[in-house]
Amino acid sequence: MNKKGLDEMQIQRRNNIGNQAFLMLLYLLLIDAGLYGYGFRWVSYPANIMIILTVCAGIYAIRLIKASAYVGPSTKKERPVLTILMTGLISVLVAMGIIILLKNTGFSDVGQINDISAQILFSAGFAGIAIAVITVVINRMQNKDDGE
Amino acid sequence: MSKNLKLKSARAAKDMSQKDVADAVGVTRQTINAIENGDYNPTINLCIAICKVLGKTLNDLFWEEESNE
Repeated sequence: MNKKGLDEMQIQRRNNIGNQAFLMLLYLLLIDAGLYGYGFRWVSYPANIMIILTVCAGIYAIRLIKASAYVGPSTKKERPVLTILMTGLISVLVAMGIIILLKNTGFSDVGQINDISAQILFSAGFAGIAIAVITVVINRMQNKDDGE
Repeated sequence: MSKNLKLKSARAAKDMSQKDVADAVGVTRQTINAIENGDYNPTINLCIAICKVLGKTLNDLFWEEESNE
């Protein structure tokens, strides 16, 4: 059995949750586009996309953790608690950063939020890369003992 | 799906916890718990791994008699 990744039940649950989250994202984006077509702007672009993406990603992560499909089977030397704590901490920091960024811009002025859209996209990309790098480092730390 | 009491009794006979079996076959404790409760239908590979750990055959643990259904 694969000791580094998820087990078969976790993979099935993760795939199921991922499919549902993707469809929810698709439908929310379609609804948003439809509302925009009828002239109703609940939040100006790109904050609406950011909010929908954040909500879908948050629901996906929460459902994964709730279904015990986030951390795979661990050996005694591994520290899944560290992984969860680090991921949670980074998620909170990224969410706070996005909220502060959006709060400072305000939702009412379309031109104002368009001015910082590049920074938002850059921040999101940077956060994604940072999370990926930290995850790789944690995985290497946890799997270091298995190779010895 | 009905509960797998054969697996539970075989595990108890070997004085192993769900965590012990899970560690031996490389899955999480929740997966073993779901199999015992009938909430998850394992693959044949996982069935074989569990049988090897518990020293039983597939028939012993996973074959359901028609009269029991």
